Amino acid sequence: MEEKKIKLQGMSFMDQPRVRAVAPLVMFVLVCVLFYFLTGGKIFAANNIKLLLSQTYMLMIASTGVFLVMTMGGLDFSQGSMLGVCSIVICYLSNINIVLAVIGGVATGGLIGLVNGFFNVKRKITSFIVTICNMYLLRGLCAYFTTKSPVYAVSDISKYNNLAFNLTFTIVILVSVYLVFQYTGLGARLKAIGAGETASRYAGIRVEKTKMLVYIAAGCITGLAAFINSVKVGSVTSTAGNQLETQIMIALVLGGMSVNGGSKVHFYNILVGVFIYKILSSGLVMMGFTSQMQQLLLGIIFLLLVGVFADRKTGMIVK
Amino acid sequence: MAELLLHAEDIDKKFGITHAVNHVSLDFYKGEIHALIGENGSGKSTFTSMLTGIYTKEHGRFFLEGEEIHPQNQVDANRKGVAIIVQEVGTLSGLTVAENIFLGKEDDFISHGIKHTNAMNRKAQELLNSYGFNHIDATAVIDTYNFEERKLIEIVKSTHFNPKVLVVDETTTALGHEGRRELFKVMKKMKELGNCVIFISHDLEEVLEQSDSISVLRDGVLIDTVPSEGTTVDDLRKLMVGREMSGNFYRTDYGEPISEEVVLRAEHLKVPGELRDFSLELHKGEILGIGGLSECGMHEVGKALFGASYDREGSVTLANGTIIKDIPTAIKNSIAYASKDRDNESLVINDTIRDNICLPSLENLKRNRILHNRDMNAFAEKFAKEMSTKMEGVDQFTSALSGGNKQKVVLARWIGLDSDIIILDSPTRGIDIKVKADIYARMDEMRKSGKSIIMISEEIMELLGMSDRILIMKDGALQGEFLRSEELTDEDLIEQMV
Repeated sequence: MEEKKIKLQGMSFMDQPRVRAVAPLVMFVLVCVLFYFLTGGKIFAANNIKLLLSQTYMLMIASTGVFLVMTMGGLDFSQGSMLGVCSIVICYLSNINIVLAVIGGVATGGLIGLVNGFFNVKRKITSFIVTICNMYLLRGLCAYFTTKSPVYAVSDISKYNNLAFNLTFTIVILVSVYLVFQYTGLGARLKAIGAGETASRYAGIRVEKTKMLVYIAAGCITGLAAFINSVKVGSVTSTAGNQLETQIMIALVLGGMSVNGGSKVHFYNILVGVFIYKILSSGLVMMGFTSQMQQLLLGIIFLLLVGVFADRKTGMIVK
Repeated sequence: MAELLLHAEDIDKKFGITHAVNHVSLDFYKGEIHALIGENGSGKSTFTSMLTGIYTKEHGRFFLEGEEIHPQNQVDANRKGVAIIVQEVGTLSGLTVAENIFLGKEDDFISHGIKHTNAMNRKAQELLNSYGFNHIDATAVIDTYNFEERKLIEIVKSTHFNPKVLVVDETTTALGHEGRRELFKVMKKMKELGNCVIFISHDLEEVLEQSDSISVLRDGVLIDTVPSEGTTVDDLRKLMVGREMSGNFYRTDYGEPISEEVVLRAEHLKVPGELRDFSLELHKGEILGIGGLSECGMHEVGKALFGASYDREGSVTLANGTIIKDIPTAIKNSIAYASKDRDNESLVINDTIRDNICLPSLENLKRNRILHNRDMNAFAEKFAKEMSTKMEGVDQFTSALSGGNKQKVVLARWIGLDSDIIILDSPTRGIDIKVKADIYARMDEMRKSGKSIIMISEEIMELLGMSDRILIMKDGALQGEFLRSEELTDEDLIEQMV
């Protein structure tokens, strides 16, 4: 009796689990249909799909890491500059050996993740502040190494820039993270931490260790995203990965993810979100909006969605 | 007959398909303490929430001294002469005591657009003193006071303007003996001034002792209003449940010997500000009760044994020599803990029943190192059902459950893990008698199957009724020990507590 009472009271349409689960898919279809008509079908022309895909890999991979951080109630604003720094390492090392380059990129990402984790977990500073600090710090580092000239990767790195490699690389990462998230209990643990840290601790979860691990993992994943980016671009300038963090966050929220993380998070939020974001932004480009106008529109959409999807019960506490 | 003060006419409220309050009409008189009782979910709180403007009513009217009132919120209700003291924390942290007392009424201290903080503090201190709470400083930030003292401050907040109707909603479950005495004193005073107190409590003895008349609700329907005089606890139980309940739902056995085998040994536990020096031995198959006043440190004992205390000194050792120093080690070695703070520590409140039950068992649920959703669902389903949890499904969020059902989920979690040492802190706090009886029966079963239970409780009757041994604590240390016996009375225990 009482359970019903609290459940139905104050539960708006958007808060119902089924609505939350279906809404992103509905939105995906809507966005597709909308831009199909607005662009006269050009958006789904074969070569545009190809172009869309080629722009999607990096965002998709990087979003996966941030997804983990956000599930446990954290935020990561350092992704963009992190990607820049990792790319520098990768491009530099690719001149020696391509495998070494990948390892170097992943290690760099992991190390940055460790720093994020250290300040968040051990020094108990909110992830929001820590990662914003690192966003500036790493962007500075990026600029320092690329002032004189961009860092160039080995010239034949572009041989990896083909559909088969990119697609396989991305899918392998997505599937791996999905399997770990879903079938090792990590997902359940992360969601629990996002929903309530104290109670998770009392349920026997090693909260600090888990958080640390997730920050490092997210960094490593960004290292992989940096590799895909380097393959595509072939060099790094000081603006590499600029605003990636916002793109990731908009994509995840578009995919129906609650900005507070917690138990209502689903892995498909990443896939749906990234595709919606890409179609949306590419559609806006094709319709001839200026980049300023695009930013404005994306900002409005983001704000509206956060308003709809935020989980007010968990409270807007960013950890 | 006394003069009519508040008349509720055909009050009705539905939440979806649930008829929470079903056309209830009730009269409250001047100078009476009128108790509202019923099981969890019987509509007591919903009824008073409508009266105090927390919920809006669907149908019906309230008349206060003949005039219809429909408060929009709590402050509005206060202005109309209706106040409420709630079960959980009703004060805001970060504000001073004075700011809390006058929350929503700051305008009274504003002249020409300037708030006179000094005047407000002075007035608050005067009020505190008039209640005899001189030890509380009106200018201090409320966080410097503990739960119990904050409750006293809340009493001042809700009664200082002399409301005509005061609702006391299950406040006593949160209070120790001292706090209850203060609350009852205030209730008496309200009554003597010709006001009416609506008193909601699960403690039927307390209800009979304090109130003049008692109204019983069941499934949102008003069953009966009876005078307290000449009514017994059993009469009330019958009215509440609608069927005969045996007078005693505690264990009935006496004189069973306690096993010699020690399963857990704690030595010289010290936690700054909580425990001075505390040691205990837990035997196999016993229920060890720990009692005392709420600030005696007993709640910290549970945390310390579970490895959850910060800055703990001393050792906790199992029979096989394993040392417990953190929560994961405790859980791995078959120790379970259900905290008094159900919503923050026992349960991940914004997570599903399934996840809450499965969390400590995730590793055991894996087949070939792989965790399947299907297995988690089945596991949660099995143990939630075993505890007869009232739910829509294991996907339901625990935040939507009533207190009793939340506790069932907590127990289901540890029963699912088959823990051998179970530490229960205030296991029946704020829980109705039907679920209480379930929990006691379950504890007795566990004891018989050789599991050892530590029950930390502020309820003396529960300690006497369920424990094989009782430790009484005072000021962070052991004060006395009692063995289970029919001759043991509540006075014996209280004597050691104070």
